[in-house]
Amino acid sequence: MTALSVTGLAKTFREKSGDVHALGPVSFDVPQGSFLCVLGPTGCGKTTLLRTIAGLEVPDSGSVDLMFRADGRQPVVGYVFQQGALFPWMSIHDNVEFPLRARGNIDRITRRMRVGAILEMVGLSDFSSSYPHQLSGGMQQRAALARSLVMQPDILLLDEPFSSLDTRTSQDLQENLRNTWKEAATTVVFVTHNIEEAVYLAGEVVVLGHRPGRIVRRQTIDLTDPRSRLSREFTNYLVSLRRTFKELVEEPE
Amino acid sequence: MLETDDTDYLREFIEKNKAVFFDAGKMKLDFSDSPGIDSVPGEILYQFCRQLARAGVKCTRIGASKSIDTLFASFKRHESASISKKQQVGMHEHFEDLGEGVSTFLNTLSGLWFFAGETMNAFIGLILRPLKIRWAMVFYYMEESGVKAIPIVATLTWLLGVVLGYQSGFQMRIFGAETFMPALLGYSITWEIGPMLAAVLVAGRSGSAFAAEIGTMQVRQEVDALRVMGFDTFSYLVTPKMIALLCVMPFLVLLANCAGIFGGLLAGTLFLDLPASTFISELGKALIPLDIIWGMIKSIIYAVIIANVGCFMGMRVRGGAAAVGKATTAAVVLSIFLVIIADALLSLLFVHIRPGLSL
Repeated sequence: MTALSVTGLAKTFREKSGDVHALGPVSFDVPQGSFLCVLGPTGCGKTTLLRTIAGLEVPDSGSVDLMFRADGRQPVVGYVFQQGALFPWMSIHDNVEFPLRARGNIDRITRRMRVGAILEMVGLSDFSSSYPHQLSGGMQQRAALARSLVMQPDILLLDEPFSSLDTRTSQDLQENLRNTWKEAATTVVFVTHNIEEAVYLAGEVVVLGHRPGRIVRRQTIDLTDPRSRLSREFTNYLVSLRRTFKELVEEPE
Repeated sequence: MLETDDTDYLREFIEKNKAVFFDAGKMKLDFSDSPGIDSVPGEILYQFCRQLARAGVKCTRIGASKSIDTLFASFKRHESASISKKQQVGMHEHFEDLGEGVSTFLNTLSGLWFFAGETMNAFIGLILRPLKIRWAMVFYYMEESGVKAIPIVATLTWLLGVVLGYQSGFQMRIFGAETFMPALLGYSITWEIGPMLAAVLVAGRSGSAFAAEIGTMQVRQEVDALRVMGFDTFSYLVTPKMIALLCVMPFLVLLANCAGIFGGLLAGTLFLDLPASTFISELGKALIPLDIIWGMIKSIIYAVIIANVGCFMGMRVRGGAAAVGKATTAAVVLSIFLVIIADALLSLLFVHIRPGLSL
């Protein structure tokens, strides 16, 4: 079943210096419960694609269709930003609880239980009363992930959430995210320019070319869990995608 | 024939004898012995002739061959062409800049118009369901924009009252009309200075703060995070600020009026020997309740303008911290500009509704 369907999506930004054709047209489907990585070089329109799916940008043409919930309600979309975007005046607990309070129909005890469970899942139980500035970059990103997951999203969108972290922390969080995805059984669209990250995380990789971003390759990643970065299959996917990146993406515009 | 090799000699010769030609008031270039001239010395001679011509010295050529005439003609043609091209590009650029400036300003105004529409929509929705209003934030902004503005608003309007009272009273005393000073002061303060000064100070303090706060949230993607979580950013971020300003502005204007009039009273009693009782009775005769109420009504419109412009400029922030700074400045400038425009329009209305003002 398709959780997200993107059809002919295109976006042009009107700037003073002229129009910037940022994206598309791009079309793809994301099956329910799958993990899709959108891979592309900086400035190819990955973030624009994700923001358009989330409804933060209005596309010039094309459409985004999200599958409704079984009970007929609108699907819930979670979004993890590049810099976390936690509210600095709230504690980590309050930040994670915030979207639940906003819904208004969830009682305090349920909210606390859900926040406690999600903080434990991302390993931040001991920091629930801390404020964002008291946490490291990696912990802030985990808190941001918790804030998105607490809403039990049908689709989780992640915009290069680990790009500003060191390799070790980034790899830990990748493992954490993959485990979380399996537990939460949600559909994930993850945007990155890091090929290794994409191969480690994704069930399928979509490669976007230079601006305006168009799909240049789709690659299913058929690896068994737990994934090892040292396995031959992993390296094969990595080399193959690197070649695609080199041949198709890094060619002169 | 003058050749390129002669350039240095020519330059030296001109430099040495320049004064002679300027004094003589004319110069003849005799080319009888020279069948031609290279372009470099030719250009030097041409420029020297231009220099002399600008100083009113007539320059003539004698015995010049056709090739020399052609060369000089080409210098002239080239110069006039480059000048006209420069002028054309200059004018073109000026018009382009002007057009771009006007277009940007109109775009900003139309964006602000739609933004204000969204704000009013959210505001009406919240007024119908007052429990949904973020009262904690409203009280916070009331304190920040209202209570904390009291000292500066009171001090400045009091000072203006003193200055206005003293200066106008001093002029009026020449005609023995200083008893009219309280009326003049009362009208000036309640109609214009009180509401306007309060609005300018609130725009400077709070309008800029609103733009900076929302702008920083934009830069850190917190506004986007709110939107993704399903929040209506107008209800959540904009309306609490507007409601707070709507609540405090009328009282700030009332305070400004009182402080200004008190300043005038002080100037009257201290510098003009105008007894306080006379000042108060004259003021009482001049002012009617509408004068005070009108200032408060105006302040409500100013509050809507300042809150909307501040939040609009904050929401428009794209990029980094520098954009926040620009938005803050733009918020203050546009707020004050629109407040003055609104004031002018409201004054036209006031002339018709206030008894005793119609011509």
